[in-house]
Amino acid sequence: MTTGQAITPVTAEAVTAEAVSEALTAFLAERIKTEVAPDQDLFASGLASSMFAMQLVVHLEETYDIAIIGPELKLDNFRTVQAMTALVLRLRDG
Amino acid sequence: MAEQVAGLAPELAGERALVSELVGDQAGPWDLAGELPAGLLRKLGAHGVLCAEVPAAYGGLGAASRPSGELTAHAGSLCSSLRSIMTSQGMAAWTIQRLGDREQRRRYLADLTSGQLAAVAFSEPGAGSDLSALQTRTSPAGDSVVLDGEKMWVTGARYADLLVVLARHGDGAAFAVVPASAPGVRLEPVADPVGCRAAGHSHVRLDQVTLPASSVLGGGGQSLPLLFTTALSYGRISVAWGCVGIIRACLAAAVRHARRREQSGRPIAQHQLVARHLAELLTAEQVSTRVCEHASRCWQDTSPDMVMAAVLAKHVSAGHAARSASTAVQVLASAGAQDGHVVARAYRDAKLMEIIEGSNEICQLLLAQHALTTAGPG
Ligand SMILES: Cc1cc2nc3c(=O)[nH]c(=O)nc-3n(C[C@H](O)[C@H](O)[C@H](O)COP(=O)(O)OP(=O)(O)OC[C@H]3O[C@@H](n4cnc5c(N)ncnc54)[C@H](O)[C@@H]3O)c2cc1C
Repeated sequence: MTTGQAITPVTAEAVTAEAVSEALTAFLAERIKTEVAPDQDLFASGLASSMFAMQLVVHLEETYDIAIIGPELKLDNFRTVQAMTALVLRLRDG
Repeated sequence: MAEQVAGLAPELAGERALVSELVGDQAGPWDLAGELPAGLLRKLGAHGVLCAEVPAAYGGLGAASRPSGELTAHAGSLCSSLRSIMTSQGMAAWTIQRLGDREQRRRYLADLTSGQLAAVAFSEPGAGSDLSALQTRTSPAGDSVVLDGEKMWVTGARYADLLVVLARHGDGAAFAVVPASAPGVRLEPVADPVGCRAAGHSHVRLDQVTLPASSVLGGGGQSLPLLFTTALSYGRISVAWGCVGIIRACLAAAVRHARRREQSGRPIAQHQLVARHLAELLTAEQVSTRVCEHASRCWQDTSPDMVMAAVLAKHVSAGHAARSASTAVQVLASAGAQDGHVVARAYRDAKLMEIIEGSNEICQLLLAQHALTTAGPG
């Protein structure tokens, strides 16, 4: 449990599906010390718990300047790198 | 008492003084009577002191996590019943701020910073540590929702105007904000709790409580574990700082007594076995303060680590508070062995801190899970 590095919100042009997906894979590799595939179910594979999902919520909100509220706050949105990427793109568009 | 702690942030010094002034020497009598003066709670509420982190834009003091924590510790050093009310009000406000829509935030946070009181209801007869077994449910009914269920041990419910209730909602879950005066809400006070006796714990029955759909925070339908983790993360940091307050009160009482009380021809502080108790109390105070400061820093930085840092702070501080209270009673011996004494109260209050907001065992399971997921394969 280290003190988190300062998070630099990313600029608009950097937010493409590939960039988000790559950054998330790197974040996960740092946090859970595992290279995950974009469609790998983090909860089913035991790599993540709902406590960790809450950490993902905080990370995504801070990094991409989005608010994950209301029905978006469901585990399915955090199940895979793909799902989280789609969530980020959807909320940044919205 | 907290004013003497070196390095204390100057922020909220006026609020700490207000708490001292209003509590005075009454914490013991309130504990024995099992009741806090409602007027005092409303006054502190109207000053924003019960949920100091509510942003100024919503009528709050806009305090950062650390000074808010020191304010919580100060209240905890004087009266854990009052401190529990702060934890509940703060948790309610945070939940509304985090999950409510703009209109709900505006409305409810204005209420909570102007003297109205709130309690948060998770636990049920069949769902204590395991909140996934929750059965309270909302059912849609046109522009309304109907709430049915039973909640246990809700801190502050006796004084509350609003109950923030966790329930199943469709396939997911939701927090609903329920006026305590709504038809179908029935409170039953918990008789003679072991500690935090004046905190107004009540069981709450919700029988066909009909509310406007706008009472459901953010429209509902969120993941149940994400909802309670959100609310509990605030609650855990708050309880952790409250435990720091308990430890500070125990340290102060033990040091005062050990200096003055003489046995075998000298102050008992000069007996090494008693001195060791003092060393342990000081260690507990320092370690707990540091782990709380770390959690508050993570919270303030919106670091993803804040979730586990809150669990760690709560677990470490609650354990130290329970052991410190026991140690302080040992040092005071017969002088602290009577209800009404600060260490006797701490002894009863601190034990409950090992049960609430994630018991010792649940915190250990979460910390173990964290160790397992962050260790990597192999
Ligand atoms: C003073 C006080 C204030 C409270 N305030 C509130 C409030 O404001 N709102 C609210 O909703 N609730 C409140 N509660 C209820 C509180 O949240 C629960 O008491 C707590 O969650 C534990 O649940 P339980 O009492 O049913 O114990 P149980 O869950 O039945 O646990 C009994 C024992 O078994 C252990 N245990 C349970 N499951 C496991 C497991 N999986 N692995 C290992 N050990 C386990 C526990 O750690 C504990 O030692 C309060 C309780 C108290 C005492």
